[in-house]
Amino acid sequence: MKPVIVVHGGAWAIPDKIAEDSISGVKNAILEGIKILEKGGSALDAVERAVRSMEDNPVFDAGHGAVLNANGEVELDAVIMDGKTLAAGAVSSIRNISNPVTFARSVMEKTDHVMLTDRGANQYADCQGIPKVATDELITEGERKEWEHYQKYAHSVKTLFNSQLVHDTVGAVALDCSGNVACATSTGGIRNKMVGRVGDTPIIGSGGYADNNIGAVSCTGHGESIMKVTLARLILFHMEQGKSPEQATDEALQYMGKRVHGAGGAIVVSPDGKWAARFTTERMAWASIKEDTLSYGLNPKEMFNEKTFRIAS
Amino acid sequence: MLPVIVVHGGAGLVGAERLEGSCRGVQEAALAAYRILQQGGSALDAVEEAVVKMEDNPMYNAGCGSVLNELGEVEMDAIIMDGKTLASGAVSAVRGIANPIKLSRLVMEKTQHLCLTAEGASRFAKAMGVPEVEEESLKTDYSRKRWVENLAPGSNPVESQMYGKGKMGTVGAVAIDSQGNVASATSTGGMLNKMAGRVGDTPCVGCGAYADNLFGAASPTGHGEAIMKVTLCRLILFHMEQGMSPEKAADTALEYMKTRVQGIGGVIVVNSSGDWVARFTSEKMPWAAVKNDQLHYGFYKGESFTLPVSSI
Repeated sequence: MKPVIVVHGGAWAIPDKIAEDSISGVKNAILEGIKILEKGGSALDAVERAVRSMEDNPVFDAGHGAVLNANGEVELDAVIMDGKTLAAGAVSSIRNISNPVTFARSVMEKTDHVMLTDRGANQYADCQGIPKVATDELITEGERKEWEHYQKYAHSVKTLFNSQLVHDTVGAVALDCSGNVACATSTGGIRNKMVGRVGDTPIIGSGGYADNNIGAVSCTGHGESIMKVTLARLILFHMEQGKSPEQATDEALQYMGKRVHGAGGAIVVSPDGKWAARFTTERMAWASIKEDTLSYGLNPKEMFNEKTFRIAS
Repeated sequence: MLPVIVVHGGAGLVGAERLEGSCRGVQEAALAAYRILQQGGSALDAVEEAVVKMEDNPMYNAGCGSVLNELGEVEMDAIIMDGKTLASGAVSAVRGIANPIKLSRLVMEKTQHLCLTAEGASRFAKAMGVPEVEEESLKTDYSRKRWVENLAPGSNPVESQMYGKGKMGTVGAVAIDSQGNVASATSTGGMLNKMAGRVGDTPCVGCGAYADNLFGAASPTGHGEAIMKVTLCRLILFHMEQGMSPEKAADTALEYMKTRVQGIGGVIVVNSSGDWVARFTSEKMPWAAVKNDQLHYGFYKGESFTLPVSSI
């Protein structure tokens, strides 16, 4: 099985001033991921690595660079799922951790549970010796300024989302050479969200889903809308009915727009190696690698292709 | 549309001494909800009322009577969903309130979010004037006893809850009102001796509940982690979308959960035509339903008794 990996850096009206950094961010992430897959590594390892790369990159709203909640704090959510066993790990409202996706994986592999939140999650992180990082390290100067600006002008979540608000959750899906699929998604959520607000990201079936029998999905966009339609599971449901990843995703996103007036995007991979990166927002930074071709885009209908070179193992 | 209410009191194991109480509690909850529906009230109000009744009843693992986490605390999850708009509200790991389902409804109606967790949920509760209750008032001798037993090394809380003489898991309700709107609500104290901050299926939309006027509504109970892995409620609704009856949809999904992820549980379902079922792969699940002035109820597999409402 030829491996495939797709990543996204968020579906929203990405402003020109960070467009280039967003594209290079998703490209860097995908190159990290493909290195693992090409050496015969697992889809799970690949999606984790790709998402970590974006969590460490302050241009994205995940880990470093996350948006602030109403209290000016950083609360992070993440999910990771293994399509082989349907094992999953999720964390919500965690603080002071650099890489929520790795922590989510630890919940999946080291506990009997699927999801941990807030205080209990942070206690478990301490038990596991996961290094704490100061809040200031996670917040960028730019984000602090934006937050202060929004404190002055109350906006509704919908308005905020529809008008240029940062909402770049990051995510990855992959198919490895053993035919296993996996997904991972990570976010700081919506700027100025209520303390303790949990969006779609850590909710199995909404922010992500992976099943070797159907495929893997990672979503981004207006979290509350994604949850209402359980977007990831919906896309896979359409694929179960025989639709291609592209058709399935378009149909599900259309439905989300029509039924609950939400916009967003999703990346998908199927067990036979097909993939899609689709969105109904103004832009979505995404990249994919399949068979030595790196594809990427930002604007609707855009797809640039480059040849990758084999990374020596 | 003839309104329908179905409620469940959890698919975990119940000791014989608690059988009568659990059966009576679901019937009372169903009848209280039915009164609302009979008067033209909404499915949303009906499911909330049914769940509030069970949260207040120390017999069930929700609100008062919730199981304790590993630290001996009560952390509760709940969700409510409106099939008309797909609006939903949920709280996870919330402490110190009597009715998490009411707080979930407030999240749905008074915020622009769908889910608040832990500290954030408590803050919101305070801001809404929801009275704080002493955590001790939510505990029962039974829940304390189970907690102590499961602290012992070598104990297996999942097994204890689902297969052994453990406490029941989760309460829920689904309804369709005279306007044809469906709704679903679920509430729980979670898993016996769970890790602090553990969130199960209950507050996760598509897992612990789903409601969509086009197809129906579902509320599950059972091994939460397994329910999450298969997004049980969403799966049941997908099956109904494909034309399956509520019974076939529920059985197919529960069987899949058993074979794919070795999870057992139960579910109540109503479809958009008012057909309903209560199905489970566990040994027992106290449930009750009211439709057309008939009360139906059961406990063991295959059981279904009927009484006219007027006779009660």
